[in-house]
Amino acid sequence: MKRFVLIIVISLVIASCKSDKTSNGKLNVVTTTSMITDLVKNIGGDLINIQGLMGSGIDPHLYKASEGDVSKLSNADLIFYNGLHLEGKLVEVFEKMGNQNIKTVPIAEIIDERTLIGSDYFQSNYDPHIWFDVDYWKQATQYVAQKLGEAVPEHKATFESNGQRYIAELEALKAKLITTIETLPKEKRILVTAHDAFNYFGKAFGFEVVGLQGLSTATEAGVQDVQKLAAFIIENNVKAIFVESSVPKRTIEALQAAVKSKDHDVEIGGTLFSDALGNAGTTEGTYIGMFTFNVNTIVNALK
Amino acid sequence: MSNAQIEIQIIASLVAIACAIPGTFLVLRKMAMISDAISHSILPGIVIGFFITHDLNSPLLILLAALTGIITVVLVEYIQKTGLVKEDTAIGLVFPILFSIGVIMIAKNANDVHLDIDAVLLGELAFAPFDRLMIAGSDVGPKSMWIIGSILVITITLLIAFFKELKVSTFDAGLASALGFSPVIMHYGLMSVASVTTVGAFDAVGAILVVALMIAPAAAAYLITTDLKKMLLYAICFGVFSAISGYWMAHWLDASIAGSITTMLGLLFLSVYLFAPSKGIIAVMYREKQQRIEVSLLTFLLHLQNHDEIEERHVNHLNEHINWQKVRSKTVLDLALKNNMISIDNKVVSLTEKGKTFTLKAIDYIITNEDSQIEDMKDDFFLFRG
Repeated sequence: MKRFVLIIVISLVIASCKSDKTSNGKLNVVTTTSMITDLVKNIGGDLINIQGLMGSGIDPHLYKASEGDVSKLSNADLIFYNGLHLEGKLVEVFEKMGNQNIKTVPIAEIIDERTLIGSDYFQSNYDPHIWFDVDYWKQATQYVAQKLGEAVPEHKATFESNGQRYIAELEALKAKLITTIETLPKEKRILVTAHDAFNYFGKAFGFEVVGLQGLSTATEAGVQDVQKLAAFIIENNVKAIFVESSVPKRTIEALQAAVKSKDHDVEIGGTLFSDALGNAGTTEGTYIGMFTFNVNTIVNALK
Repeated sequence: MSNAQIEIQIIASLVAIACAIPGTFLVLRKMAMISDAISHSILPGIVIGFFITHDLNSPLLILLAALTGIITVVLVEYIQKTGLVKEDTAIGLVFPILFSIGVIMIAKNANDVHLDIDAVLLGELAFAPFDRLMIAGSDVGPKSMWIIGSILVITITLLIAFFKELKVSTFDAGLASALGFSPVIMHYGLMSVASVTTVGAFDAVGAILVVALMIAPAAAAYLITTDLKKMLLYAICFGVFSAISGYWMAHWLDASIAGSITTMLGLLFLSVYLFAPSKGIIAVMYREKQQRIEVSLLTFLLHLQNHDEIEERHVNHLNEHINWQKVRSKTVLDLALKNNMISIDNKVVSLTEKGKTFTLKAIDYIITNEDSQIEDMKDDFFLFRG
């Protein structure tokens, strides 16, 4: 029977032989989340071919591969991914791909583990949403520039200067964000969202962050979680709670209903981008645009 | 076509064969949904494995997953044996409970870890070629190809060794125990194979595709044949065909591979359902039409036999007398002529010798209440069927 299968496979091979290599001499770089795609684009520009696996609005935990992704991956020379289990089982696959002449780089590995937020229960599992700390993202920029320079030595200088320019942009972004956030009184800096994506944001910008669901978007919020959080919102007089682009709205709406049932009012402050950027071509389709949008939304709603 | 693409098709085909074999028996035993149940109920096994190892990549997690699969089967069997509920109810009782235990364990103890079935079992055919097995530093192929290959070899060995026992215990459990081998042991053996195959295939291709590959090819094969060996063979061929054609559909549409293969399985079942030679919808409809006309023919012949009067046998009077529409009476008349049952002389119909013999025999059978004999007789008399 196996031989039978092989015959079918081989005849298909012969029937449909065609080359998938579209390489025009440039380095083929594959990226996972839209944040990383944006980062690599800013550094590599036109000097490399960039192909992102996950589009806008796609939750990395729930990402489903298409057949085209197989060729993207098998033709890749260099793969940048987030790591820290953000991409689920894919992380394990990437770790093993090094044996097939494909270099894979988890950008989270550049960040000092001791500064990462770990799980209360299992210390070796860290919160993967590192892009919400601009300083981490600066380190990631430098790391990507360095890795690209190693892969294509002739463009090393360009990558480095692009990296420096982008780091300067990130610094400007951070300064601007801090100015915006400072218009918000300290006691109002409480961020309530659907899942725990904003812990690094809270740590970096002095927000108290409360997520309704756990870290995994697959788990559902318990009834008690909703009630506790509703009590917390009333106690701290939180004005607004937030929906996330990659998590369904209804959990946050349930929370709003729970608060309302206790004769209190809380509004939905808007939709924040958490695990993916906005549509390509829009302002929110870039890391800088996304971060500005998030902070403006948060500050305006909580004021 | 790249290596990765060839490997995906080989893995998909191996999974299709490995699923078709237990799937055929599950479909025959009306326990097809056990594979779906297993794909959910393995969650607590994975969670417990994680609590022990604190490592999402440990093989212990998959081992415990397969074990929970077997526990599911044992519990289903136990509940079913009480005789209080049917098979499908027993399945429906067991797997949501086991799955929920897993969900509660995560919520209580590991809420801030990415722990779910997807995090442990790859379940994505597109990435299977990139998860390689290394032996002594050299690459011997994708890991899932070896896992599924081993499961397949074990399944085929067991199938050949216990084919007779499996066959008898599937179709006649009473005879099986009379012959001296326990149908219960056969049942557990089969279910364990199904459980291990489900977990192994789950890792390679994902949950929905496993369920589809277990059930659809076997169900389609069951429409074509009732011979167990042929059914196994057809199920395997259908599975492999869908796996490979589904892959190419995914290639052209740039869509999910598992999704495309499942769609192909659905289309394949639909076409077998429509076009199968004897059980297919079209064959059944054709047979029904044929029988309607032949019954009309018999009525017509009986009418001729009973009436000697010329006016009763005039072609133009047929419509009024037997109350048929024109088209129908023409069809019946043509059929009778073609089969040399009647002759038409000056627009008056009369029975031929052959027609008389046929009609008299038919009357005999009807009187003695042996209507079914008429069907057999038709083969002797009819040159053309209705």
